[in-house]
Amino acid sequence: MAVFADLDLRVGSDLKALRGLVENAAHLGYSVVAINHVVEFKEKKQEIEKPVAVSELFTTLPIVQVSCTHLDVDLVCITVTEKLPFYFKRPPINVAIDRGVGFELVYSPAIKDSTMRRYTISNALNLMQVCKGKNIIISSAAERPLEIRGPYDVANLGLLFGLSENDAKAAVSTNCRAAILHGETRKTAFGIIATVKKPRSSEGDSDPPPACKKSKCED
Amino acid sequence: MPAPATTYERVVYRNPSEHHYMKVCLEFQDGAIALNAAQFKQLLVSALKDLFGEVDAALPLDILTYEEKTLSAILRICSSGLVKLWSSLTLLGSYKGKKCAFRVIQVSPFLLALSGNSRELVLE
Repeated sequence: MAVFADLDLRVGSDLKALRGLVENAAHLGYSVVAINHVVEFKEKKQEIEKPVAVSELFTTLPIVQVSCTHLDVDLVCITVTEKLPFYFKRPPINVAIDRGVGFELVYSPAIKDSTMRRYTISNALNLMQVCKGKNIIISSAAERPLEIRGPYDVANLGLLFGLSENDAKAAVSTNCRAAILHGETRKTAFGIIATVKKPRSSEGDSDPPPACKKSKCED
Repeated sequence: MPAPATTYERVVYRNPSEHHYMKVCLEFQDGAIALNAAQFKQLLVSALKDLFGEVDAALPLDILTYEEKTLSAILRICSSGLVKLWSSLTLLGSYKGKKCAFRVIQVSPFLLALSGNSRELVLE
């Protein structure tokens, strides 16, 4: 089973708060965490080891269509702080799912404010109607340790948003892992060959040359 | 000679447990606030009411044990109301203006399972 992941922790520049937040997430059961850095108007996600995935926040319809089909992103983050001024259309969403782009729903506004709760749930239900629960990730945009919830709690929230039980648990584990791997494959050619900065050949010819030569000689 | 046709009997066990049991703990941000059992129940009912309304606030919910020092409790809810109670506990953000969070430690349809955490069992 894929490990649980929370792919959205928002922290300012305070390192101690960040450490407390990550420790709290680990204590609750998350094995993988991604920290959001707000960069200009785009958001860049950074795994603790290395920068891998890129996610983008969108609010207007043209950006939606473009990002689903053309832009080189891994996750599309749905703003829940206001009523989305457009409806999701099925064609670009289907293209996005085929490309492997995931959709991210954030739940910490729902904890803070009751108006946000309504917007979160209504936007989530809207999205579910179109994409049928595929490639959905639920994460917290937590700034404080008390805003994170445990992975099974979040999977239960997925049930509220209209996901099936299977999809809800996948939204916290499998789909997160898929998004991270999707980010990694963007660095490689067709997901197979990766160049490594070491005095070794690339993974493409992973069979060690002596073995190949040996089999050729034996023919 | 062909073997006689085997007969199959299908036995379906529906979940015999009507209630689900949850072990929860309430965590406050700046130190613990004292809550007695009645206030705790009031908090749970108001959380259900905020998210789901009057009808679901009246779900048959019982607090089986409550420890005031650690603010932890074992709750019992009918199985149909588990998802609603669990999600309203998850989305509860504050109590009387102070930030808090519910940590759900264990959920099980059997009360005996709450006495130990089967995931931490060590088989010698």
